[in-house]
Amino acid sequence: MEPTPLQRALRSAPERTHAGQARPEQEFFCFRLGELRLGIPSQSVLEVFRAGSLTPLPRTPAFVLGVTGHRGQVLPVLDLLRFLGKGESKVGARTRFFVGSSGSFVTAVVADSVIGLRRILTSDILPPPLGGDASAEHMLGVFQPGARGEALALLDFGRLLQLARKRAVVR
Amino acid sequence: MMVEVDPPEVEERVQILLVDVGSVTYGVDASQVLRIDRAEASAFAHPALGHLREGRRALVFHTTSGEAQLKVDAIRGVVPVAFDRLRRMPAAATRSPLAVGLYLSDDRPIVLIDLPQTL
Repeated sequence: MEPTPLQRALRSAPERTHAGQARPEQEFFCFRLGELRLGIPSQSVLEVFRAGSLTPLPRTPAFVLGVTGHRGQVLPVLDLLRFLGKGESKVGARTRFFVGSSGSFVTAVVADSVIGLRRILTSDILPPPLGGDASAEHMLGVFQPGARGEALALLDFGRLLQLARKRAVVR
Repeated sequence: MMVEVDPPEVEERVQILLVDVGSVTYGVDASQVLRIDRAEASAFAHPALGHLREGRRALVFHTTSGEAQLKVDAIRGVVPVAFDRLRRMPAAATRSPLAVGLYLSDDRPIVLIDLPQTL
């Protein structure tokens, strides 16, 4: 007997949907810092808190602003603007620190303001600009939300933190 | 009836001398300090600790070649610090032997410096 159109369609239909795999997405913690809009994978961010007292450390590179105490823990405070060679952050009453981690390393990072969490399709992440400055080596890519939206620079936080640690301790 | 009573727990503490260099407060192990004196001509400043305002005071400590004087701006006093307020230097911060650790005064970290390492 000739198969019906439905039977033919079912024979070539997949066993399960691949829609979720075809359009994978990643969640980023997004924040402003100076003129930059940055994002890092949200699984690297533990919490955000208002900037507290900052104790400078002797013999540290300029991007380590010092240490701060938070919940009984002492955290080094990183300034990504200095680290990326994009200027200097100003820590004030409205500044936020977010706690980022990679492996066993935990640090506080300066943010001027928090934009929030954003889920971004992996296919929408553009590669870092070729011939860009040295900061491109720390980037996962760039996300451009529409023609009028401000671009988000997505950082490879794990790699960045490992490199920051190396630069901080080899002195 | 005999009842065994545990001896009261003695909280272990260390004496920390707090000093100011410019606008920064540092802690040093008070047992390393022989005395506090007026800074003499032989007293030295350590640039990594920051800029001194005047540096009229000095921490006198023992070295293998005699006494040395580290200039500071002000002496805040000695505080007993419970061991549970001491913290190691975070791995991602620095490995400078000058800063041996920190202690948390409320939630504010105070950097502890090792006087012999200032030489």
